[in-house]
Amino acid sequence: MQAKAANLLGENILGTGFSCDMRIKAGAGAFVCGEETALIESLEGKRGMPRLKPPFPAQKGYFDQPSNINNVETFANVAWIMANGGEAFAAMGTENSKGTKVFALTGKIAKGGLVEIPMGKTLRDVIFGIGGGIRDGKQFKAVQMGGPSGGCIPADLLDTVIDYKALGATGAIMGSGGMVVMDESTCMVGMAKFFLDFTADESCGKCVPCRIGTKRMQEILTRIVNGEGKEGDIELLEELCLGIKDGALCGLGQTAPNPVLTTIRYFRHEYEAHINDKKCPAKECPALRTYSIDPDKCKGCTMCAKKCPAGAITGEKKQPHVINADLCIRCDQCRTNCKFDAIIVE
Amino acid sequence: MADIKIIIDGRECIGKAGDTILTIAAQNGIEIPNLCYNKNLKVYGACGLCVVEVENVPKLLRACATVAQDGQVVHTDTQRVRQARKIALELLMSDHEGDCKGPCVLGCPAQTDAQGYVKQIALGNDREAVKIIKEKVPLPASVGRVCPHPCETQCRRGLVEAPLSIAYMKAFAADNDLASGAPYMPTVAPATGKTVAIVGGGPAGLTAAYQLAVKGHAVTIFDMMPEMGGMLRYGIPEYRLPKKVLASEVKLIADLGVAMKNNVKVGKDITLETLKADFDAVLVAVGAWKSTAVGCTGDDLQGVVGGIDMLREVNEGKLPDLGKSVAVVGGGNVAMDACRTAVRCGAENVYVIYRRTRAEAPAEDLEIEEALEEGVDFKWLTNPAEIIGENGKVTAVKLQIMELGEPDASGRRKPVPVEGKFETLAVDTVISAIGQRCALEGFEALTQTKKGTIEANEDTGLTNLEGVFAVGDATNRGPSIAVNAIAEANAAANAIDAYLAGRCLVVAKPYYSKRNVTEADFADREKLPRAEMSCKDPKVRRGNFDAVINGFTEEQARNEAKRCLECGCHDFDDCKLIRYANFQPIDPDRLAGGKHECFKEQRLVTIERDQGKCILCNLCVRTCREEVGKGILGLVGRGFKTVVKPEFEGTDAVAGCKDCLKCADLCPTGALKILK
Repeated sequence: MQAKAANLLGENILGTGFSCDMRIKAGAGAFVCGEETALIESLEGKRGMPRLKPPFPAQKGYFDQPSNINNVETFANVAWIMANGGEAFAAMGTENSKGTKVFALTGKIAKGGLVEIPMGKTLRDVIFGIGGGIRDGKQFKAVQMGGPSGGCIPADLLDTVIDYKALGATGAIMGSGGMVVMDESTCMVGMAKFFLDFTADESCGKCVPCRIGTKRMQEILTRIVNGEGKEGDIELLEELCLGIKDGALCGLGQTAPNPVLTTIRYFRHEYEAHINDKKCPAKECPALRTYSIDPDKCKGCTMCAKKCPAGAITGEKKQPHVINADLCIRCDQCRTNCKFDAIIVE
Repeated sequence: MADIKIIIDGRECIGKAGDTILTIAAQNGIEIPNLCYNKNLKVYGACGLCVVEVENVPKLLRACATVAQDGQVVHTDTQRVRQARKIALELLMSDHEGDCKGPCVLGCPAQTDAQGYVKQIALGNDREAVKIIKEKVPLPASVGRVCPHPCETQCRRGLVEAPLSIAYMKAFAADNDLASGAPYMPTVAPATGKTVAIVGGGPAGLTAAYQLAVKGHAVTIFDMMPEMGGMLRYGIPEYRLPKKVLASEVKLIADLGVAMKNNVKVGKDITLETLKADFDAVLVAVGAWKSTAVGCTGDDLQGVVGGIDMLREVNEGKLPDLGKSVAVVGGGNVAMDACRTAVRCGAENVYVIYRRTRAEAPAEDLEIEEALEEGVDFKWLTNPAEIIGENGKVTAVKLQIMELGEPDASGRRKPVPVEGKFETLAVDTVISAIGQRCALEGFEALTQTKKGTIEANEDTGLTNLEGVFAVGDATNRGPSIAVNAIAEANAAANAIDAYLAGRCLVVAKPYYSKRNVTEADFADREKLPRAEMSCKDPKVRRGNFDAVINGFTEEQARNEAKRCLECGCHDFDDCKLIRYANFQPIDPDRLAGGKHECFKEQRLVTIERDQGKCILCNLCVRTCREEVGKGILGLVGRGFKTVVKPEFEGTDAVAGCKDCLKCADLCPTGALKILK
């Protein structure tokens, strides 16, 4: 409104004879509408489903007209470059990736938030320098880079330089700039399932590899975290991942397997533990946990018994309590409410 | 537009600039699988089947959407392409319940198109029905009378009230065809100049002869008996299969040019070696003609006879003196034939000795019922312990009383003797009907199984000798029902045909998409009783060998055929999905998971939509919007839950349907069925 009032937008801008107007259109918020052609479809009033490329939007976009479609971050960079010059922008960053990048630093990090860094910093710089390391004195395990379509990067690759090429080599992507930090208590299979639940839910349903493929991957991951994984499931997941990457129509589908592929690549042993030993090494998957009470630590405060929704905990006041494993529904209420750290989770 | 040149699979293809790879391939006779493409609609690119590799392009490209560039080198059948296509097809099939073939068809060992011929019978086209049957079973009048009809066991009408009477309908159509004066004769291919010898003129031998003759080969059947038909002629009693019926069907096969030589026994009158030398291929289908002995003390006494030996004698026109009391040992169909034949031979007391109960007996229940009607006394849960004789002749049989114990390997409860409990029956004859073995004298050159049968390839019938094939009761697992032998004969005929042409036969089990249904799926169906076959009075039956059944009346047969639920997909022959699914082996079961619910709905004027078959190619939606300009259909829901529905589920929109049927025409799978 201000720009219009100042005649920086609209008819005959500043008397130059050049007219340009702008309208902001709110979408319904589907993840796939972050894919440029799906966004265009949705702007045209159609169902948000991607189109095949080519033709690219620059050739045929909004109502088949040549269109410039970019993220807000890109446009913001353009403004900065216009003001400060391309050389100033290119002075920041690496050989392959110039300028800066904004990250949404979140997860088990001491200090989260939006951070803008010049390209070329390492993940360690961001997570341990800016972010102050892991919360609650726990160990860093991995970082999910690039949102649900990105990949996870493990501790031994913390010195990876943040640029497009180096991140790509790890199996992750720059993507939306999401940086979800995970500590030792995060199950990597569960993490992959979490992101796949999201992408499967957000699939538009157009192409076969994404529509049915992500659903099948989700089903396989679900059975693995529930302790019902079968021998061959990891290989089947890998086969599906590659099939979907190769066959999906748009970026959503092509990148949906990334969290699964990278967790299998760096944390295959966690998958194997779930499938073969029916154990979750991070002790996070409810179906694979067993709860018991350490009699030496339990003070008999009765808090756990009161909180237990399944009535699985019994014991006299001021006497060590016990958990009936048959009744326990692994809701974790006892552990989170115990003031004496007496609940043993295995 | 200028011409461009691209290389597809090593072939130079000319196309117009601006055309896609898919278009140019099609114009040059190269098929790239696709399910969501239509030349009149905008490119959609959803199915993922048309992917190809283009040299110097790292990604797989969709041929439907990729505009060809001059000089491009395209590969449509690389390992990577096949893998991508396989995954796409497996994913599609994991959410597709196509019901490709009716359960009756899949239930038949020979995969006879029961749904197809039942439909023709319903329409009154018996000759057309016979034509369909004879693609697999060239003896329909005979087999229709004796087949234990595994098709009926599978018939989904059983979930409504009772299965269709498929076998008797087959006999009905075939009888009418025979009686028509100009029965159906297949078109015979031009003579190939190749010769085939078939040893054994039973159901297997006759079937193979028919199929090979149709393919233009010169076939000669050698049979040891005076007439053709094998066990159908000499095992099955006249009252179940009148020999006149069989003879007419055999004659039709002879009329195809099949030479039939009776009273010739291999190993005695001629050798396998000679046949092998004189003919281009040999098929051995000699059956299993030796009765298994009872296996107790006294089973060598005079008056102990083999079931099939006795049946053969009667079928040769002799009436053996079995005495007043006869015991038949066994619970299978041969035992039923034997006991009912014994009744007709004049025996007053006929017993069946079987170590399990009626529920476990392998004989068809109807056979047991008819035997009971004819006065046969079933001694369930008994086993011969000893056959007692005087002067070397049977006088009695001592029975061990049995009870059922734990289930055995076959899943049936195992009979165990009740210690010390016996019963003795005074009998003049004991008939052993507990199994048959092969007599393979003259076939020593063929490798045998441990069971004493000929070892033959399950898919082709090929034996250890080049050019010698074997099928039927004489092979592998041994005796079984006629239609099993017929199924093997069909397979062997294909193999022999390929062998004679010097081709390598690739036997791949076709992939079919199946559907699981329950009674609830048919809850709205009107209950229509199964046609009952009228039979002659049991008292009359006891005294002669006349046919027991009277056959269906015209009205009965037509109405019975109309009960068919038409389960198999009406679009099977045109279905692109199933065709592509059989291009290469796929295994969708490994990806089994949640599916769209299967139901049928009619929301457009004359179109029924089957949700279980929809693959969301969106052709119906797109043609309605782009070509018809209506936009009545749309996609509703997202991701896996997406379905095709009238746009925004509006009912007003549906009212705009002008019944142009374009959507159904374009459906690649039969999810949309035109109801008129």
